[in-house]
This record gives sequence, C-alpha cells and structure tokens, in this order.
Amino acid sequence: MTTKKTIKSAFESMMFVWGEPLDVKTAADVFDISWKEAYDCFLELKQEYEQEGRGIRIIEINKTFQFITNGDNAPYIERLCTPVKEKKLSQSALEVLAIIAYKQPITKGEIDSIRGIKCDRVIEGLLKKELIQEKGRSNGIGRPILYGTTDAFLGHFGFENIRDLPDIENIESAVTAEDPEDEVYAQQIKLDF
Amino acid sequence: MGYKVKLDIFEGPFDLLVYLIERAEMNIYDIQVAEITSQYLSYVEQMKEADVNVATEFMVLAASLIEIKSKMLLPRSVPLENGFEQEEDPRNELVEQILEYKKFKAAASLLETYQQEKMRCFQKPKEDLQPYVGEADQLLSLDIRRFVSAFNLFLRKKQRVDEVRRHYTRVERQKQSVEMKVQYIVDFFKRHSFRQVFFKELVPPSGNRYDVVLTFTSMLQMIRDRLVRVEQHHSFGEMSLELVLPGEEEYGEKGEANDDQKDD
Repeated sequence: MTTKKTIKSAFESMMFVWGEPLDVKTAADVFDISWKEAYDCFLELKQEYEQEGRGIRIIEINKTFQFITNGDNAPYIERLCTPVKEKKLSQSALEVLAIIAYKQPITKGEIDSIRGIKCDRVIEGLLKKELIQEKGRSNGIGRPILYGTTDAFLGHFGFENIRDLPDIENIESAVTAEDPEDEVYAQQIKLDF
Repeated sequence: MGYKVKLDIFEGPFDLLVYLIERAEMNIYDIQVAEITSQYLSYVEQMKEADVNVATEFMVLAASLIEIKSKMLLPRSVPLENGFEQEEDPRNELVEQILEYKKFKAAASLLETYQQEKMRCFQKPKEDLQPYVGEADQLLSLDIRRFVSAFNLFLRKKQRVDEVRRHYTRVERQKQSVEMKVQYIVDFFKRHSFRQVFFKELVPPSGNRYDVVLTFTSMLQMIRDRLVRVEQHHSFGEMSLELVLPGEEEYGEKGEANDDQKDD
C-alpha cells in the first residue's frame, strides 16, 4: 500500500521530468490508483506550493498538471537570462480566437460575418499554433468545418478549463464607458508585436 | 479633416466603423449615418492613396452604409387603415453587428491581458527521456584534443584560402550568347582543321551548367543552319559534330540528340 505522501512525491518528480502538462490519467496508471485519487493528490500538491509561496507553481490545464514558475519572479528570471518568450498573438488572431472561444463550435463563415472580414489566414495560423482545432462539421449547406479551442489555448492564457473564460455578455457597457483616449492608447500598445 | 491616422491598425471594416463612431462620440443606438458614411468613405479613400490594398470587405460595408443612408431619407411610417405602422429602423441590423463585433473586440483585449499575465510564467520543455528508456543516443567517440586540432586545421586552411582570395578580384565572365558560341565552334573546326569533334571538347573545361546548355543550343542552331551534322549512337552517348562542307549533300541525322549531359 503506497502512502499518499509517496504518491505526491512521485507526482512531483514526474511533473519535473515530464515538463509538459501531465495527464492525471497517465499519472494514476503509474500507481494503479483511481483517477479521482490521483487528481486529489495533484490538487493537494498544487495548494501546498501556493501556500508555501514557492517560486515554482503547479497549474491545472483541463485535468493535466504542469510546473511553471511563479509569475512574480519574471523580472529576476529576465535578469538571469533572456528566456525565449512565446510569440504574442496579433490583434486579429486574438479577435478570431475570442470569437471561437466563446461561440464554439463555430464555422468560418460565422467568424467572418462577426468580424466583417475574411479570416482564412488567421484561422490557418491558429490551427498551426494548435490553439484551435477542427471539431467536426456543421449540418448546414456544404457541411462547413466547425472550430473549437484546444488545451494549448487554455495553457496559453492560463485557464484551467473553458469555463474559466471571463463573462463578456455585459461587456459592452464597460466598453462604451471607456474613454476614447484609452482606446487609442491601447491600440498603440497592440501595435508592438 | 486634417487628421492622419495609422491606417493599418484597423482589423476590418467594423473595426474602422467602431473607431469612427467612438471618435465622433455618437450614441451607438443613434448613429448619424450620413456623417459616418462620409467619414468612412474618406478613410477608404485615404487607404487607397496610402496604397493600402483595400480589402473588398471595406467596400461592401461602404455600400451597406450608403444603402442605409438612403433608406433613412425615406419616410418610415406607412399609413395604414387602422392607424400607423412603424417600420423597422434601417440601422438596426448594422447596430446589432457593431455591438456583436465590439463584444468580441473587448473579449480579445481581455484575452490579451491574460496572455500578458501568463507570459510571465516560464515552463520547462519536455525532457529528453531517452537516457531513461535505455536506448541512449550513440555519441561520437572522439578524443576532444583530436577534434579540436582537426577543427583548427580546418580554420587555418580556410584562412589561407581567404588570404589568397583577397588578392584577386573575381572577374565575372560575360555570359556568352548562342551567336558567339556558334562562331567559336566554327573557329574551333578551322583552328584544328578537324572535320569532327566531340561535343564535350567544345565545352570549356571549367564549364558550368550554363556553358553546357549554351554549347548544346548552339549545336542545335548549327544543325538547323546546316553547318554541322551530329551523330550519337546511343542514348547518353557521346555526340560527335561533323562539319558540313559547302556543297556537300545533307544527310539526315542518325540517332537523336539528347540534352541530358553526362558531364558536370
């Protein structure tokens, strides 16, 4: 009978070696324990790291767990070395991604009509980055492809699961109230790709 | 207007429209269509002037704006027998589209803040698990000293070659034309008083692909002009050119010329 302590310790080592998000099921199979048991161990570990204020944190991405550095330490890491940063997404990529995230599964035509412009190339880029994936076909005319977001999408923005997306149904009031000055300022920042 | 704007910041026609509406501080539910349309059109005009490839989508929205503008001029209430029936505001559909677009534009900037936040966290790439699997990669077994000396040797040689090269400027030969080459071949026959030469003798020893092709096309030209006869006894075999003497009877060529050269 393996104790919880042993299991948690092993999970830590496994995450360290694995680097990428480690699937709870994979970890559970190593110990031949139930999925639920393994999941609870991960959650406990995650909490421990947070409570102790460690420089390494554990994030959950759709029932997988991964070690990442504590964001607060970014300035120190940048003093130590120049980490290779993931490329920021362009404004158009973010818009398309937002539409897909909130309205998935959605066809290209629907995305085009919301943005008022063709999005083929943006979608292609997002598929290549594996932030979106094809999710079957719609029953509409021509059975167009449906798109949805991936786990990599969750990871890129730091969401645990798709339910973590911020609510945008009442966002307009917030947007309309925005100072137009801010708008321009924000756009200038966005130009800095 | 006297107001220049960075044209490439608009992600699409709605983006531009939203910008104009906000800049004019208009209520989105009560858009002054005439004003916005003229502003929109002058922007599209500016985009054309700035040589931005104006997407057709911008023109499509321009057309819709003009349509809405004209509908706004018509009386909208139709008198019916039982009173008045209010018809739909022609702007409704556009307003809905703009609101929907704005919602996702806002969502996009929300996502951006999340992205910003997440980018402060670093992660390790997946380890190379080979060593743990037992099939570790074979490493090059070479004494480091020998490796270093071999590398030094290579560097020194390169330096020497570069040293020599520096004293010579490279003369780019003028590319020969077919006419020049034909003349050269004719002279070649004369110079050597041969009646027959092999094709490869006509290609300069330092010849590259261009020279081979040039020689070949020149040869074809000469065949056409009945200056030479060419024989080749088998595919990819050696071609031999024979000078046709004036007044000599023309024979048909035997075999086929083949432009797949084995030299070079």
